[in-house]
Amino acid sequence: MDLLPPIATIFLGLIMGYLGQRARMCFVGGMRDYYLVKDTYLIKGLFAFLVCALAGFILFQFVSPAIKTFPWFLDGGEVFAKKWAGMGVTASPSSLLPVPGDPITWSPKAWAHITLAIVGGFGLGFFSCIAGGCPFRQHIMAAEGSKSAIVYLVGFALGAIIFHRFVAPLIKAVLG
Amino acid sequence: MRMTAAIAGGIFGLLGAAGQAFFHVIPPPAYGICIACHMRDMVNWVTAHISPIYGLKASGAMIIPGGPVSYNFPLLTIVGILIGAVIAASVNKEFKWKVMRVWWQKPWAEFFLGILVMISALTFGGCPVRTALKAVYLDITAIIGLIMIGVGVFVGCQVLRKLS
Repeated sequence: MDLLPPIATIFLGLIMGYLGQRARMCFVGGMRDYYLVKDTYLIKGLFAFLVCALAGFILFQFVSPAIKTFPWFLDGGEVFAKKWAGMGVTASPSSLLPVPGDPITWSPKAWAHITLAIVGGFGLGFFSCIAGGCPFRQHIMAAEGSKSAIVYLVGFALGAIIFHRFVAPLIKAVLG
Repeated sequence: MRMTAAIAGGIFGLLGAAGQAFFHVIPPPAYGICIACHMRDMVNWVTAHISPIYGLKASGAMIIPGGPVSYNFPLLTIVGILIGAVIAASVNKEFKWKVMRVWWQKPWAEFFLGILVMISALTFGGCPVRTALKAVYLDITAIIGLIMIGVGVFVGCQVLRKLS
């Protein structure tokens, strides 16, 4: 049993929580502040994240074997082809297939993934904006003592169960 | 040194890449930092061990939906973030019990917003943080998702203007 990921992520989380509280970091909040008041303090954080993560992936792929699928739209197809061969599905890999993690990840239909990205992305942006911050910011606010954010986290955890119990089977049935 | 969002964002980006490169937070790829997914892994792992509501495989093993990395023991980013933020808030004396004033951010409304945000986040496999991480992993659907988050926030801002 490999216990490195849980132990490493708890320390990653500690650093993120501390820095996030000091910097008021919020991903959705950056876009919202830019649209509403043209304030660029938080959106700089989003761009810094994108640039540094890209630099990290480009650099670390030379030293770590874990990033062998780095330009996903080039290498992701092979991952899917291997998986499908094991499942007995014949389909041609497309560069539009996403990194695993969404409910119909192993479906070969690229248009279904794009539909999910459009619907999910819009809902995520809209509801996070109304709720007053992205999920990360809500965790920080809960730790700062906001009762609204603590109740948000309860709903957030419950949403995971609702999703996997009811919504994911529905999505699979509709888009499959 | 004063911590600005730009510096914090840069550090998060490097941590997200390093989590995958050096700390075995894989599979799936681009999983180094995610709020919604790691929360989902933790909640599903705990629920499945209390009562296997997602069913059992033919071999008798439990079905735990989520990243394969979390099957044996879940990722604990959420716990770390909460502890880290509590430390930061108490060290700098910013901890204070409070409730948001506007009605759509009162606790009862935030409960439903939390559910809706989680469902939309899991629909395409990531909170805004992981969407950004996937986008720089050059996953084209995540780039579309990131653009759609921007559109969603824009519409949300128009609604906020009407509400307030």
